[in-house]
Amino acid sequence: MYGNLSLVEPLNGVEQENPEKLAEFEERISRGEKIEPTDWMPREYRRQVLRLVEQHAHSEIIGALPEGTWITRAPGFKRKLALMAKVQDEVGHAQLLYSAAETLGKPREFMINDLLSGKAKYSNVFNYPALTWADTAIIAWLVDAGAIINQTLNSKGSYGPYTRALERICKEEAFHLKYGYDNVVTLASGTKRQRQMLQEALNRWWKPIMHFFGPPDAVSVHSEKLMRWKVKMASNDEMRQMFLDAYVPRIWELGLNIPDPNLRKDPETGKWEYSDPDWDEFWRVINGNGPCNRERLAVRRMADELGAWVRRALLKPERQYVAPLF
Amino acid sequence: MRPGSGIVPAVKDLLYRMADDALILGHRHSEWTGLGPVLEEDIAFSSIAQDKIGHAYALYQLLHELGEPEPDRIAFFRDAPQFRCCHLVEYPNGGYDFSLMRHFLYDVAEQCRYHLLESSRYEPLAQLARKVRGEIKYHVFHATQWVLHLGARGTEESHQRMQQALEQVFPLALGIFEPTEYDDLLAAASIFPGERPLQDRWLETIVPLIEQATLRLPALEAVVPAYGGRCGIHTEYLQPLLDEMGEVIRSEPEAEW
Amino acid sequence: MSSGASHHTSQHPKQVALQSLDPRVNRLGIPSELSDFAPKPLQDEWEPYEVFWRERPGEQPVHVGTVRAPDPEMALVFAKENYCRRGQTYSLWVVRTADIHTFHPAEIDIFETAPGKMYREPDAYKVVQKILRLKRGRQHDQEAKSTS
Ligand SMILES: [Fe+2]
Ligand SMILES: [Fe+2]
Repeated sequence: MYGNLSLVEPLNGVEQENPEKLAEFEERISRGEKIEPTDWMPREYRRQVLRLVEQHAHSEIIGALPEGTWITRAPGFKRKLALMAKVQDEVGHAQLLYSAAETLGKPREFMINDLLSGKAKYSNVFNYPALTWADTAIIAWLVDAGAIINQTLNSKGSYGPYTRALERICKEEAFHLKYGYDNVVTLASGTKRQRQMLQEALNRWWKPIMHFFGPPDAVSVHSEKLMRWKVKMASNDEMRQMFLDAYVPRIWELGLNIPDPNLRKDPETGKWEYSDPDWDEFWRVINGNGPCNRERLAVRRMADELGAWVRRALLKPERQYVAPLF
Repeated sequence: MRPGSGIVPAVKDLLYRMADDALILGHRHSEWTGLGPVLEEDIAFSSIAQDKIGHAYALYQLLHELGEPEPDRIAFFRDAPQFRCCHLVEYPNGGYDFSLMRHFLYDVAEQCRYHLLESSRYEPLAQLARKVRGEIKYHVFHATQWVLHLGARGTEESHQRMQQALEQVFPLALGIFEPTEYDDLLAAASIFPGERPLQDRWLETIVPLIEQATLRLPALEAVVPAYGGRCGIHTEYLQPLLDEMGEVIRSEPEAEW
Repeated sequence: MSSGASHHTSQHPKQVALQSLDPRVNRLGIPSELSDFAPKPLQDEWEPYEVFWRERPGEQPVHVGTVRAPDPEMALVFAKENYCRRGQTYSLWVVRTADIHTFHPAEIDIFETAPGKMYREPDAYKVVQKILRLKRGRQHDQEAKSTS
């Protein structure tokens, strides 16, 4: 759910929109035009895009925490600098995405309030702990790989500010992916202990990574409309298949074992088959009961509290709220 | 600098002091990454942390060229008594006030030091000084703006916090300029004019800025500079920091990471 | 000597601290019970500034995004690392979003230029035929002259 609307909310009230305007809007999108903040848009389009971009922004800022766990322990200059730069980029992605989301009418402060109060959702994958250094390698390679599949698709979407933010983000993600891959390959070709550490990390992360693109299409709310509006760019299963296609061979190539005995590509359909990755756990985590949900929230609240006096010192409460242009 | 001349240990000592300061402070700064007071500042401060660690790397590289071990070896495998950093950089971050004030006092000193080094007779260091000029300029701009804002343009609360931080950090910052047995040698060889002239330049620079920030600098004669770091005597905070920094790499010292 | 940075802001000294895998988080002394959360007011993260960036001399500055900042100086402090930490930069401008003037979105049709203003387009000017005619005319004149 790294901003991929893996949990689609049903659309409502679209039939109440002005049919002429709606037709013109949909015509623009089908011509490949971008929708800009001041353009007419259906209320449901605004709500769904806001929800998408806001969740994506939350995922980036929370996503800085699991990898941040190893910032002070990264082994050697190259890794230390790269990990710092990567986590910094994730914070930067949140900054860009909050701005893009703000153009739809919700101030950044209110979005952060919803995150800190526990109301807002963010990607489940960041509610798992990075137990060892190898976990950061798996995150940077495979979680970022998943994010890139999703973000590259979304960058072809219809909402102008979001696609512009994603263009910038995708360039940085290319570094994250290469850094993660290099890190994984180094551990895979390292000592026995390093290989073992890596294998254990992969075992831990496989399930959350399978959850990453959201529940199977068969049990998800479908929305032709969101696809037609170029808000959701591919189905959850389509993205999962893209991920498996690209990365399973590379994982196997390194001599790593993927902890799913049923994982195989059906030669007839060309589709990957896999065991049920425990969707009950997915729901438990998304409803706040994952291994790190509470810690993530507590840490974000603390960070906000620690910085409160700095922000307060330079506050200009008399100013009128203005949304960024982006 | 002629190899084999008696100046080599003096140059190494200077390089170790500078590199260890940059490494440990960069490491401390990096603890804020992802936890900063506002997203934009989180990103800015993280860049500064990265630059510091980058400077440390470049200095360790110079040491390596003078026959010392590889940068990763020097940085991640020594223990506290072998470090030559000042106490200022060792302290935990505490609040953002402490972090910003430390950053301000350190980076102005850093700017003065590298400025003097641009005309050093030790050419590799002179070259490095020119290379990092832009980065340090940004660090000082960042630090100065924050101190001015929170001191003079903020609230009573922020002014008080910055004043308190200044009183805490000032004696520690004086420890940057702890005299060493090599100062005269380095000055005579036109490699570096010495810690004393550096401290004078530093004071000349910070005094008007602190005044502009409406803060009061403690009287120089009333404070005891936190010396010791330059001869390997450190605070209780350094060894745990080093243990943490080396935890992964030391777990498999011969491996590639 | 200073007692250092011992002033953590945790207001719950009696509570057990949250245990994290992240040593940085452990140093923050976060209470294990979730603290109360007071919602931020508007402006808590300051106001938006638009950022314009020029990669190298000779190029147009382009709008690259926005930063939240309390004033122009801090906006520059932030914009520099938020938008120029990679690659090359020649210049960077910031301006408070509220200070940017534009047309009201409802007036966007003001940009719809009526067709038929071809006199402003290069295609409206076709000289080849005219030149051919001119040359033919001159030739004709010369022929007339020589026969007279
Ligand atoms: Fe990201
Ligand atoms: Fe990333």
